[in-house]
Amino acid sequence: MIVTGSKSHVYRNISVAGLLTFFVLWESIVDFGLVPKMLLAAPSQVVRLFFVKLTDPNPDGALLVVHTMVSLEEVVTGYLLALVVGIPLGLLMGWFTVAEGLARPLFEMIRPIPPPAWIPLAIFWFGIGLEGKVFIIWVSGIVPCVINSYVGVRMTNPTFVQMARTYGASEWQIFRRICIPSALPMVFGGLQIALAASWTALVAAELIAANEGLGFLITMGRRLMMPEMIVLGMLMVGLTGLIVGILVDAAERRLSKGLRR
Amino acid sequence: MSTPAEPKSRFSIVRSCITMWGIVRAILKNRFVLYVISVVCFLYVWDFIAVHRVFGSYMPRLVEVISKLGSMMAEPLATKTLLEHVWASLSRVLIGFLLAVVTGVALGLFMALNRHVNAFVRPVFDLLKPMPPIAWISLSILWFGIGETSKVFIIWVGAVVPCVINAYNGIRLIDPELYDVVRMLGGKPRDEAVEVVMPAAFPAIFAGIQISLSSAWACVVAAELVAARSGIGFIINLGMNLSEPSMIVGGMAIIALIAWVIALSVEWLERWLCPWKRELLNG
Repeated sequence: MIVTGSKSHVYRNISVAGLLTFFVLWESIVDFGLVPKMLLAAPSQVVRLFFVKLTDPNPDGALLVVHTMVSLEEVVTGYLLALVVGIPLGLLMGWFTVAEGLARPLFEMIRPIPPPAWIPLAIFWFGIGLEGKVFIIWVSGIVPCVINSYVGVRMTNPTFVQMARTYGASEWQIFRRICIPSALPMVFGGLQIALAASWTALVAAELIAANEGLGFLITMGRRLMMPEMIVLGMLMVGLTGLIVGILVDAAERRLSKGLRR
Repeated sequence: MSTPAEPKSRFSIVRSCITMWGIVRAILKNRFVLYVISVVCFLYVWDFIAVHRVFGSYMPRLVEVISKLGSMMAEPLATKTLLEHVWASLSRVLIGFLLAVVTGVALGLFMALNRHVNAFVRPVFDLLKPMPPIAWISLSILWFGIGETSKVFIIWVGAVVPCVINAYNGIRLIDPELYDVVRMLGGKPRDEAVEVVMPAAFPAIFAGIQISLSSAWACVVAAELVAARSGIGFIINLGMNLSEPSMIVGGMAIIALIAWVIALSVEWLERWLCPWKRELLNG
């Protein structure tokens, strides 16, 4: 559907009005005391805390930048490990019956377990340091990687495969020259889903044992009864996730140039 | 043509080698044999790790897990048997999920049918969407305390997003030609709604409901990990506090099992409720 210029202008204004209404409502609910200050922080308080936390490590023990960097480190490590393991596994599962037969049952067993359920085992196995958190993020990031690469290979146009067979290509050659390139768009789609899953798992990972990180900031906000800290932590999680998502999207565009039809 | 005996026997050895290789290949081509091999190897490696304590003493054997589950089935744990714990989790999930379906699908339909509503609500929705449900735990405890309400709220947060997105896309992505067909055949707006919008959007909406149900089930653990006196998440948490890995792994196995049963039954329900989905996909 084509939206004319003046119409899209109208819709943009409505969108801005929607956001404004949301924030004004939120601010006034708190300012006029419709909800107790203990339960909800006004956006102005959150912004103030944001600037305070840029320079002041109190009361939770670290600067906002430190929290963000720690969380980023955990997520990026877990995410990259998930990509490195998950994509080749999914690609192999899509083409080779042996790989699929051997890996499928294990994968199906692990897939339905939500990331928070891994917390206790991660602590028992890897301790409460970085390894345990990375493990939880890895487990939840690997699932979409495998699924998307698998589906991508499965969706390869059979005509290409038959043509390669006619010309006498070996199975491995078909896999490398035809299946992988044609699966790439799906694989790149999986990168975004895996990133979202990793960010979701980050908060779960930091729920239990942490002394730095955005998830820890949220938990601390509850312990200190500071709702503005909770909201700040949530906003930072959303914002950082958004920025990393945009970066991944840009990388994806560069890598898959010429692949899109 | 007569051939000497010696080369013939050598040939038969080669041939039997080839047939052996053929059998091995046939086994490797058969998916179900491979599944069995995989599961058996997994169980063996698990047992090996547990017995030889590769991960310290925090790895239960399968036998221990099963016997633990059996004992929890019979003796109540925190005044509830295992089945009652499962039911406690399930009932939370169902309440949160039903609320999410009602509110989410309604909002999604509203956004899809009215562009002004969409323009108004969309930015706020996009702002709240990327926040993981687990991040809401703290706020939800502040708002609703540690009772049932806060758990249902977290499940609702986790389940509502896919409902909204799929209901919205389901309607927006309907082929405009379908409307034209109804109009050309003299249909009224009501006919458009009944003959086009409902059947064409239903598969997408149902897919959203499916995603939201599995996401709701994944959130229940998060909700119960923090503060609960019943449920599967409580069992896992208790296992951690008591250092009883067999309880943790047993709880995880039950979660996986129920998630699997839910996925299967929803798939079956979908095939029964909207058989035209296949035609749409194939056509």
